[in-house]
Amino acid sequence: MVQINLPKNSEVIKGKYYQDKTGSKNIRKVNVYRWDPSTEENPRIDTYEVDMDNCPSKVLDILNKIKNEIDPTLAYRRSCAHGVCGSCAMNMGGKNGLACTTPHAEIDGDIDIYPLPHLKVKRDLIGDLDGLYKQYQSIEPWLKNNSTKDTNEIFQSKEERAKLDGAYECIMCACCSTSCPSYWWNGDKYLGPAVLLQAYRWIVDSRDEERKARLKKVADELKLYRCHTILNCTSACPKGLNPAKAIAEIKKMIAVANV
Amino acid sequence: MENKSPLSPHIQIYRWHISSLVSISHRITGIINIIAITLICIWASMLILGDSSYSIINLFFNSLLGKLFAIGLAWSFSFQILSEIRHLIMDMGYGFELKTTRITGIAVIFGSVALTILIYLIGKNFI
Repeated sequence: MVQINLPKNSEVIKGKYYQDKTGSKNIRKVNVYRWDPSTEENPRIDTYEVDMDNCPSKVLDILNKIKNEIDPTLAYRRSCAHGVCGSCAMNMGGKNGLACTTPHAEIDGDIDIYPLPHLKVKRDLIGDLDGLYKQYQSIEPWLKNNSTKDTNEIFQSKEERAKLDGAYECIMCACCSTSCPSYWWNGDKYLGPAVLLQAYRWIVDSRDEERKARLKKVADELKLYRCHTILNCTSACPKGLNPAKAIAEIKKMIAVANV
Repeated sequence: MENKSPLSPHIQIYRWHISSLVSISHRITGIINIIAITLICIWASMLILGDSSYSIINLFFNSLLGKLFAIGLAWSFSFQILSEIRHLIMDMGYGFELKTTRITGIAVIFGSVALTILIYLIGKNFI
């Protein structure tokens, strides 16, 4: 259901202001979404003045700097810092992306940092992705092949392998799904771009023998056809993939496959 | 504890871009067009009721508000037609690259204005 306003307990209030203590002339204001599960308070926006002369180029560097030097209570997920693990997915300057690959120079004015949109917040910038993982599990993302020989490899031509390019690189960071208004309003039923891209990845895999069953599974009004080509997903993907195109390809396959 | 977790902000904070704007406008103009077609049907059936009911419509469409209404509808229909063509092409699996979607989106926006002007000029017998 379309719900434009946030629930009462989710309305964001103004938070603390952390003034710069380094005396730097090159200051940027960073507004960060904060929520502490141990209090009854509403989420708030804390503002930090960050010395940019001593800060590397990415948004994650700013967060690390805040956590190390200004406010150690800030919580966020991060791991590899090289755009591979997908842990630091968040909303920066109004757009989803990985904090470790998003340069802060690309954001104009104050830097606004929020958790991924329309998720239950666990704390500060950490959103609850359980629902998405359950949906990922539901498409059974593993190779299904009834071959009984366990010594022989299953061959795949170069052309067949090329079909997986643009699909297998997905790191499941959830930037695309949580950028999608259709997923916001129908996230309980609509699979969303991330999971559908993975469904596509297994549908087009030449080694997989369950193609038809997979197509049948996603051929559903709500699971698949809630995609209205808004294209927030493709513009958000930090790996430059195109989930919207994958969804369109699934729709095309279902149209001709007669499932 | 899980239940009191707040919902993170979504549409309030997410930045708009050409494709999302065209997509939502497509839906809004779609709803406007359905209402408009209904109104046009009522208007047409009012002709049966004779002279007096026709003059009400005549009066409305000759007022400034009525003229703006008609021009607005011309735009709404123009936008819907062009945007629908864009969506049909996408349904065939083409035009999903970010650059292409931006170009086609801008084409729909400017094209709808151009088409509105064209309809206006034809309506005014200038062309």
